[in-house]
Amino acid sequence: MTEPAVFALGELRQGVTAAFDFSIDQQQMDAFAAISGDENPLHRDAAFAAGRGFAGCVVYGGLLIAKVSRMIGMELPGRDSVWSSLQMQFVSPLIVGEPARLEATVSHQSVAARAVTLQLKVTAGGRTVSHGKALVSLP
Amino acid sequence: MTSEAIYAKLTPVFREVFDDDTIEIGPATAACDIVAWDSVNHIRLIVSIESEFNVRFTVEEMTRASNVGEFVALIGSKLS
Repeated sequence: MTEPAVFALGELRQGVTAAFDFSIDQQQMDAFAAISGDENPLHRDAAFAAGRGFAGCVVYGGLLIAKVSRMIGMELPGRDSVWSSLQMQFVSPLIVGEPARLEATVSHQSVAARAVTLQLKVTAGGRTVSHGKALVSLP
Repeated sequence: MTSEAIYAKLTPVFREVFDDDTIEIGPATAACDIVAWDSVNHIRLIVSIESEFNVRFTVEEMTRASNVGEFVALIGSKLS
């Protein structure tokens, strides 16, 4: 099992950043379809997606949220962190197999609340796929 | 910033955090007056207030502030 990063609240000053590269493969798409029950052909049928103007099956937004989960639980802040809110905007589709990157940056550190706000951004091919923010509590 | 101006900026923060557009706050408003004011929303409230007014609170200040009036006085002291 991979060990999560461990950041203390005092280390999470404004501007601290973490990032990782990823892509979503067909196996992950299949798994998410089974978990969610979302069989929308935009996500499941490449020919249908092409007919709607997409270069391939569109990655589920839920799988991008799953990558946010990895970011918060494993990278920044990592162990002991608990989300209390998440807001995401999906501005451009990510296509299955397309290389992407998720970056998180601390934009607010609250000692009084023992929490940080993370700005989140998913990019692929030089464009923004999704952006948002999360509020994360620390013990 | 006057207390009136602080209340004017603070009311939308409360409405956003507690997802209730009818919330009216006054000096005596406390956690017991707002059903959704639980521990999780308290964290959201503090962070939202800090962001809105570009101030930072200490743990001790939060412990002492028991109602909205004390929050407003605290914000005012940091902005003066």
